Amino acid sequence: MELVEPMVNVDVPWVTIVWNDPINLMTYVSYVFQSYFGYDEMKAQTLMLDVHNKGRAVVSSGSREEMERDVAAMHSYGLWATTQREDA
Amino acid sequence: MFIRHEVGKIALDLEHQEVELLTQLYGQLHDLLAEGEMEVDSDPFIQLMRMDGPTSISEDPALARLFPNAYLSDDEAASDFRRFTEPDLRRKKLVSVREVLAQLRGYEELVLLHPDQVQNWLLSLNDLRLVLGTRIGVGEEDEELRDTEDPEQDPGYFLYDYLTYLQSTLVDVL
Repeated sequence: MELVEPMVNVDVPWVTIVWNDPINLMTYVSYVFQSYFGYDEMKAQTLMLDVHNKGRAVVSSGSREEMERDVAAMHSYGLWATTQREDA
Repeated sequence: MFIRHEVGKIALDLEHQEVELLTQLYGQLHDLLAEGEMEVDSDPFIQLMRMDGPTSISEDPALARLFPNAYLSDDEAASDFRRFTEPDLRRKKLVSVREVLAQLRGYEELVLLHPDQVQNWLLSLNDLRLVLGTRIGVGEEDEELRDTEDPEQDPGYFLYDYLTYLQSTLVDVL
């Protein structure tokens, strides 16, 4: 018997990336991830630390339209976000 | 500062000097944003036809930080995204700034905030820090040389540190 892999939608290869910047407060960034994406505190903290330490983090994935919506929302919070194909 | 009031709501508690300082800073942020605000026609159909915003990123580093490119390596997509989203984003930012300014002008003493007022403060304080931080070069290489102990020497940093403090008190009670 084969294990069923978690569902991966090959039709939605777009991601939203949040980039590190020297001004936004770490607590604020973590709050935005919880508030907008509904992520729990641990996931939001992990993503925030990735942004801080690695310079960027993929914060969401989905269709291009969905990612443009997320990017626009991140910009409204003052976070530096971009979108691109996942494999780009 | 922002505090979690015993009734459960977030309250704003400012000294007179803070109100004056914030009114000035918010006034400047307002002017910066309003400069690029497009005139809105009263006819909704004309409005629809003129929904085009700018197609390239601002040459002003502070505005470029508030309205960054949404695509790193696709100029055409970045340009399209900006054209369709920047006017709306600018309007939203201006609404927050205007609401906060109105509240500052009428401020007398500790006041309980409605959730939408909290949101206006949260977003606009962050925009204010982004603009001021960009202007004074936070994160640039010579930043280590700054002297935070002497506000006379470095008023920009003094204001920036104050805004950081104020925003922290807000994020802490959310």
